[in-house]
Amino acid sequence: MLMPKKVKYRKQQRGRMTGKAWRGSELAFGDFGLKVQEPGWITDRQIEASRVAMTRFIKRGGKIWIRLFPDKPVTKKPAETRMGKGKGAPDHWVAVVRPGKILFEMEGVSAQEAAEAMRLASHKLPLRTSFVQRPGAH
Amino acid sequence: MATATSESNVLQAQPRTPGTKNDARRVRRSGKIPAVLYGAGKDSLPVILDPRQVTRILHSQSGHNTIFDLALEGGERTKAMIVDWQHEPMKGMLLHIDLKRIAMDQKLTVAVPVVLTGVAAGVKQQGGILEQMLREVEVECLPADIPSVIEADVSELVFGKVLRVSDLPRSEKVRFVTEEDQPVAHITVVKEEAAATPEAAAVEGAAAPSEPEVIKKGKQEVEGEAAAPEKGAEKKEKK
Repeated sequence: MLMPKKVKYRKQQRGRMTGKAWRGSELAFGDFGLKVQEPGWITDRQIEASRVAMTRFIKRGGKIWIRLFPDKPVTKKPAETRMGKGKGAPDHWVAVVRPGKILFEMEGVSAQEAAEAMRLASHKLPLRTSFVQRPGAH
Repeated sequence: MATATSESNVLQAQPRTPGTKNDARRVRRSGKIPAVLYGAGKDSLPVILDPRQVTRILHSQSGHNTIFDLALEGGERTKAMIVDWQHEPMKGMLLHIDLKRIAMDQKLTVAVPVVLTGVAAGVKQQGGILEQMLREVEVECLPADIPSVIEADVSELVFGKVLRVSDLPRSEKVRFVTEEDQPVAHITVVKEEAAATPEAAAVEGAAAPSEPEVIKKGKQEVEGEAAAPEKGAEKKEKK
């Protein structure tokens, strides 16, 4: 599972997700990509599940880039605990994404294969996504 | 090699008064886009453009390197090219354009796309993946000599060989600004992922730390503590 090696603080506040992804919204490495359409949190497990779904589909055919990293800790209180007594313990990690962010990129496969791999990956994610490709890529 | 000036285009522009971002939004709401024209030692000039005409230029064969005539309403007609453009990340609508006046007798530096042609031997025979690392190279040339694309043949590219900027086809009129040893493309291999067994998953889970290391603030304090006794020792010596 993806997570930071070192952090400055163990816990974070939730934050806001206003605006669009003005950075990281264009294909930088591959010919095909998966663009997110709405803001939200994507957990480390969801990223891993998407990656596995894509790599299993394309087998040895293509290369994948993961353009998001879960660097935000999410805390959780234990079950059946009364409110109060401070913030819960870190439970998992999430990546904060805003609309327009490219989540994954792919190269070395046909457009049909890439679209299918991205479709399988998108089913592991909690947000609406769209398939994008570089002009002229086929 | 087709050059960027092969197409004759005329882009209509209206002058605008520079204002706040609200003014720019009003321009966009009216179906136009704000732009700015600069270069050739003259003052910059804010203008309004038709986004459809700009999109047509950007999607043409020569792309953003196309040199066109900019016809200003009621005056100046100058050669120009698009040097920068901003678009909205979701729908891709153009937001703002930077235009540069072009002097046809002065050299300029532009980014030209690199197009790989042929099927690499490393892909065909060795089962690798062709990875293009550099998609544009910077070249210096006269405006009339800007190539629309630089085609590189990769049919002889195999494992261990790297196509570099120095291997790209060149002409006497064009000088490469991008470093010669910068890699353009190579053949890479991706290992197939073995299906995860429960045992392997358990081992991985045990090996991975549950929480990352927290960077402590104490580093400076440790140095301070180390420095403090030395000062004390100095005082004792003075006594």
